[in-house]
Amino acid sequence: MIFAEGALRPDSQLPALLDSLEDKLTDTLAGPPLEAETVISALARLGERLDRGELDGLIAQYAPAGAREWLDEVRWMLRPELLRQKLAIELGDASPARPFGRAERCPLGVLLHVAPGNMEGLPAFTALEGLLTGNINLLKLPRGDRGLTFAVLSLLVETEPALTPFLYAFDVPSGDRDTLKKLAALADGVVTWGGDGAVSAMRELAGPGCKLIEWGHRLGFAYLSGWEGRTGELEALAEHIVTTNGLLCSSCQVIYLDTEDFGEGKRFCNGFLPILERASAVRNAAPGAAAQATLYAYETFLEHIADRDGLDEVMFRGTGCSLTLRRDRALELSPLYGNALVKCLPRSQIIPVLRRARGRLQTVGLLCPPERREELVRLLSRAGVTRITPAGQMSASFPGEGHDGEYPLRRYCRVVDLAL
Amino acid sequence: MLARQRLFWLSKPYDLPGSDARFLRAVRDNCAYHLDHCPEYRALARGLGFDLSQLETIGDLKRLPMLPTLFFKRHALSSMPKWRMAMYVTSSGTSGSFSQVGFDWGCILAEVPMILKLGFLHGLVSPVPANYAVLGYRPNKNNRTGVTRTMYGLTWFAPPLRRAYALHYRDGAYVPDLDGTAKALERFARSPFPTRIIAFPSYLWFGLRRMEELGLSVKLRPDSKIILAGGWKQHYAQEVEKPRLYALAERVLGIGEENIHELFGAVEHPIFYNTCKCHHFHVPAYARVLIRDVNTLEPLPMGQAGLVNLISPLMNATPTLSVATDDLGVLEPGEKCPCGCKAPYLTILGRVGLRDITTCAAGAAELLGEGEGL
Repeated sequence: MIFAEGALRPDSQLPALLDSLEDKLTDTLAGPPLEAETVISALARLGERLDRGELDGLIAQYAPAGAREWLDEVRWMLRPELLRQKLAIELGDASPARPFGRAERCPLGVLLHVAPGNMEGLPAFTALEGLLTGNINLLKLPRGDRGLTFAVLSLLVETEPALTPFLYAFDVPSGDRDTLKKLAALADGVVTWGGDGAVSAMRELAGPGCKLIEWGHRLGFAYLSGWEGRTGELEALAEHIVTTNGLLCSSCQVIYLDTEDFGEGKRFCNGFLPILERASAVRNAAPGAAAQATLYAYETFLEHIADRDGLDEVMFRGTGCSLTLRRDRALELSPLYGNALVKCLPRSQIIPVLRRARGRLQTVGLLCPPERREELVRLLSRAGVTRITPAGQMSASFPGEGHDGEYPLRRYCRVVDLAL
Repeated sequence: MLARQRLFWLSKPYDLPGSDARFLRAVRDNCAYHLDHCPEYRALARGLGFDLSQLETIGDLKRLPMLPTLFFKRHALSSMPKWRMAMYVTSSGTSGSFSQVGFDWGCILAEVPMILKLGFLHGLVSPVPANYAVLGYRPNKNNRTGVTRTMYGLTWFAPPLRRAYALHYRDGAYVPDLDGTAKALERFARSPFPTRIIAFPSYLWFGLRRMEELGLSVKLRPDSKIILAGGWKQHYAQEVEKPRLYALAERVLGIGEENIHELFGAVEHPIFYNTCKCHHFHVPAYARVLIRDVNTLEPLPMGQAGLVNLISPLMNATPTLSVATDDLGVLEPGEKCPCGCKAPYLTILGRVGLRDITTCAAGAAELLGEGEGL
């Protein structure tokens, strides 16, 4: 399917659309600009419809189970005052006093978004960031998007018809290089979400003059220093692990312990495993979910036997979850789905070890006594992390935060200097 | 070695108690073979605390090292060098990852009598030539999926006159052509020979609905058949729509419910499961099915829902002796099915991970519409 000019069209119209797209885009660029306030008020109206329950039918039809609770969590992001705040924080003052001339902030023009598939709603979210900055957005949808994005885009243009010429979406496979190349050739910037494969592929497809904005895969971890007696925070961390299943860039993959002592690592695992089990039992109460958790934990155990033989690691098996205490210190992907890794990393080694994962670091969930916080925050930020949160809130968004160390809206704009 | 052939050449394909002794012997042989020839399997057995001496009765099958399908997706396991294998097949992975399973010649030799015997028993084998419409992939040298081969193989159950495929390989990708298939069916309806439609359930559903939208309906010859094959994913989603699918097939093609057959199997467990006339998958003597508790993985008694564990000593090339699938299912005693077959039958309820599966009642199937497929 394709979304263009406010309507859904069959794939068979793709070649004709690609042929005429350049003219359509230049027409839009020559027309009136898209004001941020137009987008903000459209989103506000959409939010009101959501609150009134008018969209519940659509959500049930297109979004997977659990989407409703996720929507409730991110609903605040649509509030006008927060969107205005986001614009103000990220873009700052567009024309500060200068000794000579002045500057104006303009949209890049046309953005091609290669949207991610690891979380529902993200394809629509990346398009919204493009709209807020006044760009025309071409969306390449991820495999497995079951129509949710099309539904959101349709709702948006229905709410605010002025958005129509600024939104296009294509359900083309990543392997369709010809189409992607044609789309990239029309874009001023390519926004790539995804793993190394997607990022490298788009670097090849985009021409040298095209701006690359890459939101690659990142890794999150927890850093625990002095965890004894902090059960509430450990419970929150356990809940985070079984709720995100390790699938988000901000999810905790490795629990680092501020110690050299492997024995202390074992004691931590023995204490933390029951907490993780309780969180898993609550999260996976339905048989379908329990079966998945059990199967992944069993698979993790088999891989521990088959692939990690002779490495002197200790696996702590729980019902529907597990902890594996490893000897090395590297930050790496965990076995996911409630199966976390535990490693010893004394404070003094934070920078040398984490530097090796630079460019991959994202969120760290910090659990420590208040008097140690400042020192650890300093070390972790120098090591290259871009978010530091309480251990249980690694994947919670907060207003005004950056994205992987940058303000995305700023990257979707350019500065025009006027020396007139 | 011969224990396997003795099992697969036995004369009563649904006599489970009568085949227990042969089954156990074949399992022991197969397990010993993999322990000798596959280092990963040997390591897993040791890690799980299993050795051959624990296999004494048919009740000991639960002790076999059980490998999840995910393990096959992440590890290319084999118990013999590739040059000794007859073929190498992949599952049609839905999330970009797939299992790779090698088949040995002895496995092929054992499959032939199984397929023929069950094919005759279920009325699939016929000497009358037929026109074939395959709502699946046209075979191609780049396509190694088991389901493509299975569907092609099914076109030999009655001598094939011609084959029309719904998925064509063009420029490196498969493109669907349901309209072309609908036209082919119109041609087949004028043929003096019966038609056989081999289909993924979801494709049949979409194809029939498309035909209905276009106002097309044909009257295929009365001995025509629909054979549904493909991933189980499609299978349980189809549970929801089954009666509607049957009614649609009758309306659009003139094929009655009694001529709709369903098959299943998996690349990691290529046993030829057929539905009986009551649309139940009775377990044939070449396999045993255990249902395991979703928390403890302990085997459950008949009638309780859990993870489906499939066991068969069919393959020497790959250690697929005991496979944990991604499916939740329930096993019922054969006596509960009016068809007369005494072997227990398996109903797939859904895939793991679906949060909506809350009970094992038949009503659970209703919830599965949110799964995949239809």
